[in-house]
Amino acid sequence: MALFPPLWVNAITYSSMITILSIGFTLTYLTAKIPNFAHGTYAGVGIYVVWTLSKIYGFSPYLGFPLAFVIGGIVSLILYVTVIRVISRLGGGAVVLTISTLAIQILLTAILSIYVYWARGIFGTYGMGFMLKEFDFKIGTYPGIFPMSFLICFVVVILLHILLTRTKTGIAMRATAEDPELASVLGINIDMIQKLSWFLTGGLACLAGAMYPLWFQSYPKSGGMIMTSIMAGSLLGGFDNIYGAIVGGFGVGFSEIVLTAWLQQQLGPWVGRWRPIIPMAILVAVLLFEPRGLTGLYERIKASTIGERALAMLGKEEE
Amino acid sequence: MIDLLGLTVSQASGLSQLIIDIAMYFGAFVIVAMALNFQYGNAGVPNMGCAVQVIAGGFTVSAITTRVTFMIVKAAGLPLMPYASDYDWVYNNPHNVAVVTNPFIETHTMLGISLLLFSLALALVLGSAIGYIISLPAIRLRSTYLMITLITMADASQIFGRNIPAICGGTLGVFVPNVFAWYLGNRGIILAVVTLLIGIIAFFIFRTMLNSPYGRLMRAIRENDGTVESVGKNVVGIRRNILMFASGITALTGVMWAFYASYVVDNLFMRADWTYWPWLMLILGGPGNNAGTFLGCALIIALRRIILISKWSLEQYLFFPIAYVENILLGVLLIAVIIFRPRGLIPEKLLYIPGINYRKMVTGEAQVDLGDSAMPKAETEGGEPE
Repeated sequence: MALFPPLWVNAITYSSMITILSIGFTLTYLTAKIPNFAHGTYAGVGIYVVWTLSKIYGFSPYLGFPLAFVIGGIVSLILYVTVIRVISRLGGGAVVLTISTLAIQILLTAILSIYVYWARGIFGTYGMGFMLKEFDFKIGTYPGIFPMSFLICFVVVILLHILLTRTKTGIAMRATAEDPELASVLGINIDMIQKLSWFLTGGLACLAGAMYPLWFQSYPKSGGMIMTSIMAGSLLGGFDNIYGAIVGGFGVGFSEIVLTAWLQQQLGPWVGRWRPIIPMAILVAVLLFEPRGLTGLYERIKASTIGERALAMLGKEEE
Repeated sequence: MIDLLGLTVSQASGLSQLIIDIAMYFGAFVIVAMALNFQYGNAGVPNMGCAVQVIAGGFTVSAITTRVTFMIVKAAGLPLMPYASDYDWVYNNPHNVAVVTNPFIETHTMLGISLLLFSLALALVLGSAIGYIISLPAIRLRSTYLMITLITMADASQIFGRNIPAICGGTLGVFVPNVFAWYLGNRGIILAVVTLLIGIIAFFIFRTMLNSPYGRLMRAIRENDGTVESVGKNVVGIRRNILMFASGITALTGVMWAFYASYVVDNLFMRADWTYWPWLMLILGGPGNNAGTFLGCALIIALRRIILISKWSLEQYLFFPIAYVENILLGVLLIAVIIFRPRGLIPEKLLYIPGINYRKMVTGEAQVDLGDSAMPKAETEGGEPE
């Protein structure tokens, strides 16, 4: 019982979701070079996939996770093929593409809301502001989503690491992210790689969204509302480094939950209202002091003499 | 006239109210869209935080103008309920504004006008200050970072407004004094007229700036900032100035909108309304020229108003609120415009600079001063480098 106090359960569950979303956001930025403001709304799609399965058809929400991954990937792929690819082939710049993702966000949220109204009319199930905690199983006194979310996050990170470093497709993805033209010269099918990465990002976002209603009150807008945390996590990690996004996502998630709780103990319950400011403050602080985030910080420390000595002490020789 | 048109009196007044509403919406949004055109269309600063600049104006009215008005009214010896503490500020506000302040302004025309001018001037200053603050984290970095920061700032400003009751009464909101109480007719008419007037003044200011050497510098930065930097211009400073100036103008919209609603709450300045719509107007009309901005603004406002008017007749066929149809329409419209008319309905034209003979330039008779003609002849007469 004392192993994981409720605060840590809360923080780990939330951070796992944010981390998966941040990884996807970073992956989009790496391959498409745009911040995808609709990324949070993909999570909204995941939320309503599990809602449909659990509330309407009565399955366990965990069964919805793979389905959410596939549906999210398909939604993201459709949006890439019909919108992003068309615009970038027409020569739209980064700003125009970003604006189009803002349009996608508004569009997707509206479609989700209409779906909720439609389902209420057909099945009589209310879907604005729901939770699926009663569908969750329990391990001891802990809710099942706590180990599951961490496990899924861990597995996703490991699988992504294997994909990006051990498989040809992953290496091709990294090459495309570095320099698309050079990659195409080497015979990499860039369009296929782009499609794959959009499928992956959409799927991952939807997977994280599928976990969301097991822990939080969910609305069609919920996905858009955690967008700031996702961006802060991605920026904290360095914005062009997937491994950074892992650290960044956990950093932002933990500071949001733990810092708020600690400040509430110190200063009083009014701090709770200011919680959304925390990721924003992290975002601004990162940009002000180290625009390349933890990746930049790590490289700077590694380059300094103290860092070299510290690395040598840790047994890591200079390559 | 009314009988000729076959309208009843209530219908006619409803119609005129609709016209006032459209005029007000157009005036307010055209200022934001023009300022955005100034920033993005001409200088390439992708300002995704229009909402935060509008909010600066709205909060100026609610937090400062209202307090100043109360002070003046109190100095005049009227029985004002206390407003110092947060609680009194929110709960005595309706009485203070509606019962005490507005009748006072009704008989003191100059007070109303000077309060309006004071709010506008203050919003200009505070808006520029906000523009400076929001430019701090990311103006030096890639435009992606700037977009992320500004879109976050818009949410942050709403949270500040919601959580600090002294600004706009927290979630309850506060009423603001009616500075046009002295005008005996429809308050909406004079508000719309003043807003459109501000829009016209802003238009001439922006036009003058764009036709000046500074405007050409802005366009040069948009096209290639590296080149501009290499000839010794401070690109970051110019970007920051542009953002600050446009922020000040955008904040004026917030002031007029607060007076139009006569009520300020953070949800009055939603990010979707004040950032997405101006961008949609700009992209639809065509970034880079003001005519396009006007056209885009008029079309979007007309579309939205038409949807709003037909709400009651349409909603009986729908099983969900019509706002979602509107969102889908506007979202699809933006994507369609970007795909099918990437340069907008009115594409950008070459800038006309007074004093340059374009015909001469085109026909090639213009004399190019080569200085000491140090350049070898072969190079000047040779073909393009490519």
